[in-house]
Formats: sequence, structure tokens, C-alpha cells
Amino acid sequence: MIIFKRAISLMLILGLLIAAIGCSNSQKQTATASTQSTPTSSQDKVIEITFWHAMGGNLGAALNKMVENFNKTHPNIKVIAQFQGNYDEELNKLRTAQQSKSGPDIVQVYDIGTRFMVDSGWAVPVQKFIDEEKYDISKLEPNLLAYYTVENKLYSMPFNSSTPILYYNKTAFKDAGLNPDTPPKNFEEIEQYGKKLLKKDASGKVTQYGYSMAIYGWFFEQFMAKQGALYANNGNGRDARATAVVFNDEAGQNIVNWWKKLVDEGVAGNFGRGYDDTLNAFTAGRTAMFIASTASLKQVLDGVGNKFEVGTGFLPALNDSKDGGVIIGGASLWILNTRSEEYQKAAWEFIKYMVSPEQQLFWHQNTGYFPVTKAVYDMPEMKSHLEKYPQFKTAIEQLHSTPINRATQGALIGVFPEARQTVEKAIEKVLQNQATTKQALDEALKSINKAIENYNQTIGK
Amino acid sequence: MYRIETIHSKESYKVKRHTLGMPLKNFKAEIEPYLYLLPAASIFIAFTFYPFFKTIYISLFMTGPQGGLSKFIGLKNYFDLLASPDFLNSLYVTFEFVLLTVPFSIIISLVLAIFANLDIKGKSVFRTFYALPISISSASAAVIWTLLFNPSIGFINYLLSFFGIPAIGWLTDVKWGIVAVSIVTIWLNLGMNFIFLLGGLQNIPKDLYESAQIDGANVFLQHVKITIPMLSPTLFFVTVVDIINAFQQFGVINIMTQGGPVDSTNVIVYSIYRDAFFNFRFGVASAESIILFVILLILTVLQFKTGERRVFYR
Repeated sequence: MIIFKRAISLMLILGLLIAAIGCSNSQKQTATASTQSTPTSSQDKVIEITFWHAMGGNLGAALNKMVENFNKTHPNIKVIAQFQGNYDEELNKLRTAQQSKSGPDIVQVYDIGTRFMVDSGWAVPVQKFIDEEKYDISKLEPNLLAYYTVENKLYSMPFNSSTPILYYNKTAFKDAGLNPDTPPKNFEEIEQYGKKLLKKDASGKVTQYGYSMAIYGWFFEQFMAKQGALYANNGNGRDARATAVVFNDEAGQNIVNWWKKLVDEGVAGNFGRGYDDTLNAFTAGRTAMFIASTASLKQVLDGVGNKFEVGTGFLPALNDSKDGGVIIGGASLWILNTRSEEYQKAAWEFIKYMVSPEQQLFWHQNTGYFPVTKAVYDMPEMKSHLEKYPQFKTAIEQLHSTPINRATQGALIGVFPEARQTVEKAIEKVLQNQATTKQALDEALKSINKAIENYNQTIGK
Repeated sequence: MYRIETIHSKESYKVKRHTLGMPLKNFKAEIEPYLYLLPAASIFIAFTFYPFFKTIYISLFMTGPQGGLSKFIGLKNYFDLLASPDFLNSLYVTFEFVLLTVPFSIIISLVLAIFANLDIKGKSVFRTFYALPISISSASAAVIWTLLFNPSIGFINYLLSFFGIPAIGWLTDVKWGIVAVSIVTIWLNLGMNFIFLLGGLQNIPKDLYESAQIDGANVFLQHVKITIPMLSPTLFFVTVVDIINAFQQFGVINIMTQGGPVDSTNVIVYSIYRDAFFNFRFGVASAESIILFVILLILTVLQFKTGERRVFYR
């Protein structure tokens, strides 16, 4: 009896211990409950669909406004927009929810989630609705269609699209005796200008760096494309499923070497991985140039206010490749097969509304994401907007001057989120003198390739 | 289990013999205690034991990108982990983190508790201040400290600049990342430790100090000879809890460094989270959890075996 009692108390104590580490394991059991209502069968029923997105801050406010307008103009459909954290968090919530098929009807997934979403089997390709309805997609930006078309089908509808651009402090340019209307075009000029822009106080402490960029894997991918180089094999995973990444070549090393050189020379400041930390450094005048998404333009302009003048330029080049350019970033809208066709059709209605010229104009003006449809450029409001804020033009011109090829289409990899983080670690290692460029990239390559192999094996393709 | 059952039935047989003719009462005495245990036990079974055994089960599999089990691979996950430099680094970082946080947070809170236990004016104000971190969630604390550590607009570097100390890359420099998250963790732990230790101090009878004073012991000696031994049960408890907490630290690291720079703050729990909910490799993550469990189990047993002997229970 005593031993039995002991056994029970032992089990309870053991249980406490397990609970101590088990907290992180049991999370996956809890599926996110979603608000789903059962449809009624009357004629004037309202179809409620849920829409998951990852737009916070001023982006989220603009998005909610658009959803509100949709609901007002479409009495038969009610879209419930739910903010699910950043792109990574949102995708991970989706994966958890889908284990019990309780995901939303529409989900906004970032560019690099495309391969995974196609493989997941959760999505209804928007191509289906385009074909059924003979919806005209000729007005959509060709670069966007090139990115989101997988195996000859447009799987998702591009919604918020961005590319990286160079932001610079025009006032600081003037003070340093540089022409504020000619931003640097390549890294030699970044170095040259950066040295002139660098400011130190009496004690030798840097008060203004010449240049900065966050340690963000997206920039690495963009600089690969800018050099016309591939990130993954099999034509960036577009001719056939990618089986390995190939960024440890000359192009990849070139990027990291330049980065390290600028940091070592003290020209470039390292504000870490946090994207907003570098952005804040720019608005606070701590760095005179930096790289960020076009989608941050509004945030930068608001943050800077009247402190100084902001200029924008193309992503600086690392070589004289003529086939290079930028890859589409941002996200697209996916229709999920969680519920019946009725709901999917409603979701399609919503998506059509979101990419209509009027909505895209509003979206562009309030965020900096460029319009996904070229029809916007014919609108008089757009013309006057670009005259008032010429900085918005850069992204559009950069996009239109980018040739469409395998490099600029961007890579399709199932484990892209993980790959991006691994590359970030590799760059950090080099900047912190823990490895040479070649070592760090080779190591990253090995780890990503293992993940790709595992992925390809487990999806059975 | 077999042994337990035989003894059990023997005992109940004995009981039956003595209380012959009262089977209902007997039954009640036998079963009733377990009924009281039932609610707690069923919660444990549902939320602790089931996930635990499931975790062991999953750790023997390769898992697909959507979380499903795809292939039985035996102990391969464990072997891969123990051969992986990244995982060994995580183990190292975890121990480093424990050593950086636990001693400091206990020493600082002990000193604060001793001061707050003095008979001075306004001591309740100090007590409230010292216990304040308890009321702040680790997530919001991490956000606030991230701002304080910010490389361009952070207050801490600004403060240091008055002493001529050049700007420190708290969250961007490989050497400082672990220090920054440790500082925040120590600060967060202070409140709870302080309350426990203060409670312990107040339980020490005043006459012990009085007689020591009469014998001519100075304040330092009084604390070494009286406070520490009398407080040892509380100190032991605080140490065990702090170590387990340090092994599980997640919130602060997730918000402040995401395991970076270059994995210098990638403790095991964070790497479990990464593998499970970011890379969606539940098999590997489960194996990591089991390894962490074994480490914690060994440590706790060791602490009870060695530490408890030095604890003085009145």
C-alpha cells in the first residue's frame, strides 16, 4: 500500500518535471479555433469568410479600411480580417490550424512560402477561377505573374508587392558635398560616398554611418538576382523541383565580402537582424543610406518628417550584369479548400476587389507597395500622387527595368523560411569574424541542402 | 507494477479479515483516497503524461513539413543531434546562461531582502519596488529592454557614454548578446526570489541575532552564521526553481535576440521552438525535448542528493 502510494506521488512529481519541459510540446496539440459559421439556406444569406493577414501598424490600418469598404459594397459577403503576427508566425499558425482543417478561407502568405503552399495541397489555385470566368489578367504586372506562376498555374493572387530600394538622406548628401540627385549606383560608389558621409564626434565615436543594411536574408537573395545569379539549382527550382541551393558561388561571396568590407572600414553600421532597428537608425540620422523594402517608404517618410529630405534609388549593383534585377517581395492571397465552393467563390470575389485599380491605388498611396495592376498608372490620381512624392517612382521604374529570367523570378524552395534564417546566421558569422565568407556560406549550404532533402523526401516527391 | 499489486492485495486481504462484515466501509476506505486524486491525476494524464509519451514516440520519426509522421527512423534523431555542432552549442549556451543568471539573481535578491528586512522608515516602499518585476510579464519586459538596448536610440548606451564607455552592440555583438538576455532574466527573477527570501528572513527569530550581538558578532558574521543557515531551506528552494526556470527561459530570448547573434543565445528551449514551430521538424524537436528532460531530471536528483544534506530544517 505504501509503495503504491509512493508510486503515485512519484508519478505526480515526475509529471511536474515533465510539465516543466513539456510546455513547448503540448502547444502543437492546441489547434487555433477559428470563427466559422454554418451557412443558412435562405436566398439573402450572408457568407462569412475569414481572412488571415500579417499586416501590422500602418499597413494593417490601410488593409482594414479596404476590408471595411468591401463589406459595405458587398452585402452578401462578410470578410473577417484577422491579424496573425508577422509572416513567419502567420504561416506557422496556419500549419497548426490546418492539422485540424480549421484554417481560414483566405490567407496572405509571403513570397517565400509559395513552394510550401503549393505542396501542402490546401490551396485552390486562383487559376481555376480565372479560367472559369475568363478573368482578364493581362493588366497584371508580368513580373508578378512570373513569380507566382508555378507549374504553369497562377496559384495565388499577388496583392502586396515590393522590392528593395536604396534610401538616402539628401540633406546629409548636400552637407558632404555630394550631389543629392545622384544616389550611388554600385557598391564602389557606396563605399566612396559612405566614406564622405561618415561623421564622428571629438572622441572618435561615430555619429553618422555612411551606409547600413539589416542582416536580412531577403537582401542577400535580392543581391544574388541583381548579379543575375541563381539561388537554387534547377533554374531556381522553376524548371524542376530544386534539390539544392547554390549561392556559395562567386556572386554569393561577393555580397558578403562587400558587406564585411564596409563594416570593417567603419563605413557601414551593423544594427543587427532587426529590420526596424536599421530603419530607425536612418530616421534618427544615425546612418545616411540604407536598404529597405519599398513598402517601408510611408513609414520612413512619416518617421523622418521635416528633419531632412529623403531620396530613393535603385538597389546598388555588385557587378555589371545586364540580366540582373530585383525579385518580387511581399505576399499574395491564397484561397484555401477548407470549406465548400460557395466560400471559395466568395473568397475569389474578395480577391478580385483587392486587386482592382481603385483599391490598389489606395493601397499604394498608404503603404508604398507598388500597384499589382498596370491599370493604376492610367488613373489621374496616380499621376498627381507620383508628382507629389517622386520617391514612389523609384520602385516602379526599378520593377519595369527588371528583365524576367530565372534569376529575377526568384527561387522556389519548400524550406525557404529556414534557408533565409540560415543565410542570416552565415552573414552574422562573417561580420563577427567567426568564419570566412567561403566557410560560412559552405556551412549554410550544407545545412539548407539537408533540410531540402528531408523536405523533398517527406512530401514524397 | 506487479510487486506493487501483490502487496496491495495482501494488505487489503488483511484489512478484509479484520473488518469482516463491513464490506461497504472497507470499499470506501480503499477507493476513496484515489477518488480525491482522480481530478489531479486525470489532468496530469491528459496534459502531461500523454504528451510526454507522445513526444518520445514522435522523436523516433522523421516528420513531414505539415507535421505528420512520415518514416520511422529509430534513434537517428538522437544520434544526429548529439553529433550536431549546433545542438552542442545550444547545450553549451544553456549552461552558460544558467551560470550567468542563477547565482547573480539569488545573490542580488538576497542582499536586497536583507536590506528590506531592516527596521528602517519607508521599508514597505522599498519592498514594493524590489518586488515590482514580478508583476511584469517577460514579454513586455523584453520589449522594454530591447528599446533600452537599441543600438541607435538606446538609453543604456547613452548612459554609458557619460562615463566615456564606447557604444556596446548589446544585441548585435556575439560577446554581449548572452549578457544582455541574462541581465533581463536576472531582473525578472529578482521579484519572486526577493519575496521568498524576505519571507524566509522574517521567519528567523530575532533573539538569535540578539544573543549573537551580545556575544560580540558583527553584522557580517551574523549573516554568515545565522542568516544563511537559517535561510537554507528557502535558498535551496529558490535555487532549484531558478535553475529549472533558467533552463526553460524562452520569452525574453524569443523577443530580444531570436537566438542570435550567431546562435550565441540559442538555448535548448529556443532551438526546440525553432525546430518544431518554424522548421516544422517535430521529430528532431521532440528528441531535443527528451534530452532536455533527461538533463533536468539528472540535475534535480543531484541537487536533492547533495544540496539537501546541507539544508538545515528546523
